[in-house]
Amino acid sequence: MTREEQVKAVGLKAGARVVGIAAVDAFREKVPEGYRPEDILPGARSVVVAGGDGPTAGAWRCPDHRVMEITGYDLRENVAVHAMCDFIEGALAHHAIQAPSLPVHGHEPPMSMMHAAELAGLGTRSLAAHIILNPEYGLLYYAALITTLPLEPDPPLAEPACPHPGCAAMYKRIGTTPCLRVCPACLAGTVQDGRIQESTYDREKCHSRAQTYGIGSFQKGLLQIVNEDDPGRRRTMIYGDFFTKSLQSVGFFRDSIAQCFECMRVCPVGRKYRKLQ
Amino acid sequence: MTLPPTATAALKSIALKSGATVCGVADATAFDAYAPEKHRPGDLLPGARSVVVVGGAQPREGDWAATSPWVLQTMGTTERIQGVGRRLAQYIEHEFGYYALYVPPGTASGDTPFLSLMLAAQLAGLGSKSLAGPVLNREHGFMYWSAVITTAPFDADQVEAAAACPAPPCREMWEREGTTPCLKVCPAADGGCLSGKLESGRAVRTFYDAARCNTRVHTHWIGGFQKVLEETLNEPDRDKRKMLLYGDFFTRSLWAITYSSTNIAQCFECMRVCPAAHGLKEMK
Amino acid sequence: MSVFKLDPEVYKRYKDEVLKLCNSFQRIDQPGLSDKQIAERLGLDERTVTEIRCVAERDCYSLEEWEKAIEFKRKATLEWSALALKRPDLKEK
Repeated sequence: MTREEQVKAVGLKAGARVVGIAAVDAFREKVPEGYRPEDILPGARSVVVAGGDGPTAGAWRCPDHRVMEITGYDLRENVAVHAMCDFIEGALAHHAIQAPSLPVHGHEPPMSMMHAAELAGLGTRSLAAHIILNPEYGLLYYAALITTLPLEPDPPLAEPACPHPGCAAMYKRIGTTPCLRVCPACLAGTVQDGRIQESTYDREKCHSRAQTYGIGSFQKGLLQIVNEDDPGRRRTMIYGDFFTKSLQSVGFFRDSIAQCFECMRVCPVGRKYRKLQ
Repeated sequence: MTLPPTATAALKSIALKSGATVCGVADATAFDAYAPEKHRPGDLLPGARSVVVVGGAQPREGDWAATSPWVLQTMGTTERIQGVGRRLAQYIEHEFGYYALYVPPGTASGDTPFLSLMLAAQLAGLGSKSLAGPVLNREHGFMYWSAVITTAPFDADQVEAAAACPAPPCREMWEREGTTPCLKVCPAADGGCLSGKLESGRAVRTFYDAARCNTRVHTHWIGGFQKVLEETLNEPDRDKRKMLLYGDFFTRSLWAITYSSTNIAQCFECMRVCPAAHGLKEMK
Repeated sequence: MSVFKLDPEVYKRYKDEVLKLCNSFQRIDQPGLSDKQIAERLGLDERTVTEIRCVAERDCYSLEEWEKAIEFKRKATLEWSALALKRPDLKEK
């Protein structure tokens, strides 16, 4: 087994659905200084990216949107990253760290997992919030490790996963695609000759949907509460459903990290894996 | 009821297979001389005889080498050892039929833990306190701890005879400069948390400003949240309130609270410079 | 400017520009600028830009947008379920 195959095998065994490798140099083209793998780990040579499953097929079928809001996912792509880090440091004696992906200033993480997934050949940007779609599995969640171990990188995908042929045909017919039609508030775009020509994404509006209850809603709610002079109204805000759910979500954020799936629900990429008995 | 003679060995084997780097046992009564009332093993589990301690999940070599502060601050690994502790508690009860209580890693009130995991690690022979505060294992250095209190009479380990701290380079540095790497990077005399004195290669005095250390190790967490909330409530200008509640510090503090398990430690500077903290393995 | 408080006047003056330049409103072919890059462009220091951006991200839409989000998801899930599960009874009249 090559070293690349060994590392990937460890990640897949630990629960990743897909594993890819990107060279550290590849990040320089589009990533500003301070956010590149080499800015995080001196001597970094490779970034190994693991993609993990999102909600189960059963969860997608639930007509109550509140279930998907707190279905969460098991973060196994992070488990896979830890397993690969342990392997790289333990067996191959090279530095390896989990790439920091949590937001640290507002919405901004120290490193983009989406871009890492693209560069590692695991997917391409879509019309739907520029979510990285894996051509086989569709929506996956990504985590990465940075290492000083030199590894042969995987090439970025030559063919984009989006638009799906069905969506390209739909666009030709009626000038929209399933995702653009279901969420015009956040998404806009055009398709030409079967390729994305233009695509825009309102992340701040999406935040009110994808993280309806959480840090943002807690801050918004709290500001309203502190600005309310009437004690009776303040009380109803503090104990009301919205603020209570916001607090719950802050307490159990891993279970409610993603709370809107409507653009992905209607996306045909990877849908075959959601058709079970 | 008695334990089979191989019980302690079997327990330690399971602990290591479950992911611990080290496993030791302390006699529950040994805590009486050091731990305050209500924070001794018998206060948490009546009839406690042993405390099983596991250490592991320490930062990797790459984590120490990373130049981004966000790596150690947001991608902490302490929870990986907590799962081992929980598993051992289940194992003890199912395998041997004795009561076992996994010590929760949170606090009983304020900043006071239910049981000092650092004291438990020392009494279980797994390490000794350093000048900087954390308990260091002689072979593996800095690590995270988890403990299980049990009525099972496992064989207790001896307390370490020789401490990892001060390490030889630190003793030499003290002779030369009157300080050590950890005392130099975070000096109490200059707004930091630590001071101390070595004599004949041993620490004879240590000082640790826990309240200041809290602002560093838990920069973005409960304390910071409370501070901003208080300031917001005291701020008469509504626009300034918005700046406080939507600002970078409060937002980051909320993220740290939601992801407590990986954001639980946010300053490692004394350990980063410590020659005894990183274990003995060479890395590329 | 202290750690906690951005001057509201500075915020009001620059928030729209900072939002436009960062990753809040994304184009697929154009990555947003980092806080440092925005600071260079606007003649501010990086710390101030970070603070403006954090407040602006949260301030961009009012709580009404959150109400709309709750309603949007409820209806969209039901409509899709009605179609995919062949349960027209789920669709709201």
